Amino acid sequence: MSTAELPGAEPAADAAVPLQPQAETPFGRFVQAYVESPLAVFAFVLLVLIVGAAIAAPWLAPQNPYDLAQVSVMDSRLPPGAVSMDGYTFWLGTDGAGRDLWSAILYGLRISLTVGALSGMAALLIGMVVGLFAAYVGGRTENVLMRVVDLQLSIPAVLIALILLAVLGKGLDKIIIALIVAQWAYYARTVRSSALVERRKEYVEAAICLGLSRGRIIFRHILPNCLAPLIVVGTVQTASAIALEATLSFLGVGLPPTEPSLGLLIANGFNYMLSGRYWIAFFPGIALLLTICAINLVGDRLRDVLNPRLAR
Amino acid sequence: MSRHRMPSRHRAALVAATAIAGFGLAAAAQAETLTIGLAAEATSMDPHFHNLTPNNQIAQHIFDNLINQDEAQRLVPALATEWAPIDDLTWEFKLREGVAFHDGTPFSADDIVCTFERAPNVPNSPSGYGTYIRGKTVEKVDDYTIHIKTENPYPLMATDVSTIPIISAAHCDATTEDYNSGAATFGTGPYKFVQYTPGDRIVLERNDDYWGDIPEFEEVVLRPITSDPSRVAALLAGDVDMINIVPTADLETLESRSEVALHTGVSNRVIYMHIDHWREQSPHLTAKDGSAIDNPLRDQRVRLAISKAIDREAIRDRVMEGQSIPAGQLLPEGFFGVSPNLEAEAYDPDGAKALLAEAGYPDGFRMVAHGPNDRYTNDARILEAIAQMLTRVGIETSIDTMTNSVFFSRASSGAEGEPEFSFILVGWGAGSGEASSPLRSLLATHDPDAGMGASNRGRYSNPEMDAILMEALGTVDDARRDQLLAEATELAIGDLGIIPIHYQVNTWATRAGLTYVPRTDEWTLAMTVTGE
Repeated sequence: MSTAELPGAEPAADAAVPLQPQAETPFGRFVQAYVESPLAVFAFVLLVLIVGAAIAAPWLAPQNPYDLAQVSVMDSRLPPGAVSMDGYTFWLGTDGAGRDLWSAILYGLRISLTVGALSGMAALLIGMVVGLFAAYVGGRTENVLMRVVDLQLSIPAVLIALILLAVLGKGLDKIIIALIVAQWAYYARTVRSSALVERRKEYVEAAICLGLSRGRIIFRHILPNCLAPLIVVGTVQTASAIALEATLSFLGVGLPPTEPSLGLLIANGFNYMLSGRYWIAFFPGIALLLTICAINLVGDRLRDVLNPRLAR
Repeated sequence: MSRHRMPSRHRAALVAATAIAGFGLAAAAQAETLTIGLAAEATSMDPHFHNLTPNNQIAQHIFDNLINQDEAQRLVPALATEWAPIDDLTWEFKLREGVAFHDGTPFSADDIVCTFERAPNVPNSPSGYGTYIRGKTVEKVDDYTIHIKTENPYPLMATDVSTIPIISAAHCDATTEDYNSGAATFGTGPYKFVQYTPGDRIVLERNDDYWGDIPEFEEVVLRPITSDPSRVAALLAGDVDMINIVPTADLETLESRSEVALHTGVSNRVIYMHIDHWREQSPHLTAKDGSAIDNPLRDQRVRLAISKAIDREAIRDRVMEGQSIPAGQLLPEGFFGVSPNLEAEAYDPDGAKALLAEAGYPDGFRMVAHGPNDRYTNDARILEAIAQMLTRVGIETSIDTMTNSVFFSRASSGAEGEPEFSFILVGWGAGSGEASSPLRSLLATHDPDAGMGASNRGRYSNPEMDAILMEALGTVDDARRDQLLAEATELAIGDLGIIPIHYQVNTWATRAGLTYVPRTDEWTLAMTVTGE
């Protein structure tokens, strides 16, 4: 009996066994919920590929587009598939300065992602600390901090960044600073609203009664319970930081022209739109679109999975 | 019928007239309004407010000068019919009789006296007419004769005078605001002021009582369209009849389209590299490891190496799409004071490397080049191409470009009142149409109080050249002055006081059937646009 039953039971057990222990941990449950959406999985894979390609750019790209000795103006404006003087093929064509667009896109992705990740991370840290502090301390401090946040949110981020860059000048570090300043307020507001809820809960009162330090309560007790919305806002804001950097570069205030990010590549190509040389703006545009879509789709899915109110 | 319906009724009347008059009048009736898309907007309608190409070209429609400049910047009689020096220090101008301003007041010598008083003294003027007027005294001899006196012999009198628009004495104390509103905007020119809406349009109406050639178009609308692709699109869509500064990227497409005609001509503008000649150590020049070095650009061999490393023909073909002429001096052939002995430096990377080695920089050095990114045709891209070429001979060059207002203030006085950069891309248009203009502004020893070297951002100084230039500036005999200016140019270019890159070539595009004669001063003038 038992021997006869076992073969039939085995597949079911096989399927259940690997899932069972995973689903027991919070992360396991999270992964399980995430993979239910094929689109989100696709977006995640795409994002991994894009980040991987950006990291591996020096090995993937046939040319270092930032090394002026490797770029020749004699190769400028070649259509996709043309062959360079050095014998390799420009699969996506070249731009007005003679850069191989495939290489320029890979290197441009590095800049765009670095800017997005670094400015997103730093803005998150600053916004998080301000938001937590405001929610915990309350009173006048909270009011002042939150009115500053309101004030900043009432001015478009691109305007703040433009003004800052006009003062600071060009460069990767400056554009990151400008984006941090333009974005920290979103995080501060998000964290503060969830921290306000947590602040009134009993476990916080208990912690206060135990005489724990203010910092320990804020960061060890309240913060972990506010993380979910923060992660969601973090992904969305990273995507918008990348878009904002592209906008600023397109307007010519971001990075030096010899080290183009995706936005600058698109801006260069914009001048050629009427001349039929579509590829100079088109391919960097597609790369930017895919990157932002992938991050946003992942962010959307994270929101669905992490939001208890949307739980089925 | 109410007043505002007038234009359409007017147009209907014209169409009817055309139908009756037959084929002969058809072209004139069609060509009623000319709409022009301009790449840069005038900052005011006040002709003396801002001495800048976009303003000057608008002023030229409404106002006349004593002497006008034709499309090649030759001097032609306008409000003055004759002019000549009567002694070393006095020039006599005979004025045109029977000319009236648009408001009906007759033109006379009093208007000149008033213009010379007002033009250099406009409040808040970002760049005024002082350069052309200070040191000159106007004397009214009779209603149609004036004398202009200077303290020293001054051969450039006619050229200087040809830059100043003449206003009516009846509006001598008008403010810039009065000119912008039209309250004082009365000249003697071929077009009358109708409307000025900053950011949108300037509307002009033909002056049928003009003393010179009556222009073909009855009404002219000048619209600023600063974005290159939008300007081209506006022409292709038929929103405008003509545009200036056609972007080089679109030339090929426009050439292939039968509904568009292109009009191309060389300008008086030379694009060049200005070099730090005076600092022992220059802020944007270092060894390859980043350590400080003595300014290598002070060595003539290094400057020559840079000039040889630049492939001017590649820039013309690949960056400018044919819209430039490689330059070997300050003005293209045919202008006054140009040397017949100077040619564009040939591309010679090996020679450049050899010169660098000889000067003690076999491994090159590191340099940051600066330039504007919205002032000259393809400015940032030219600089990028130059950076590529210099990097290839060992001078590791990176570039930093910025909007022109920021660039020029930093390039002139960014480092505690001194020029901030080491190696910059700039352009110079010779407003006077002769080599004395760039020599005096760019290469004469910097002495702003004396009006010399005002834009000498490299602080090049060569006493021998200064002496020849001063002699030329005091020589009234044209043949002798031409020769002296050529000599001064040869000295300064031999020293590589600046490194010329190319002369800009400009293109205007019109709808098919219109003709425009390109001007070396890059002005766009509606009165010289003609139909079939």
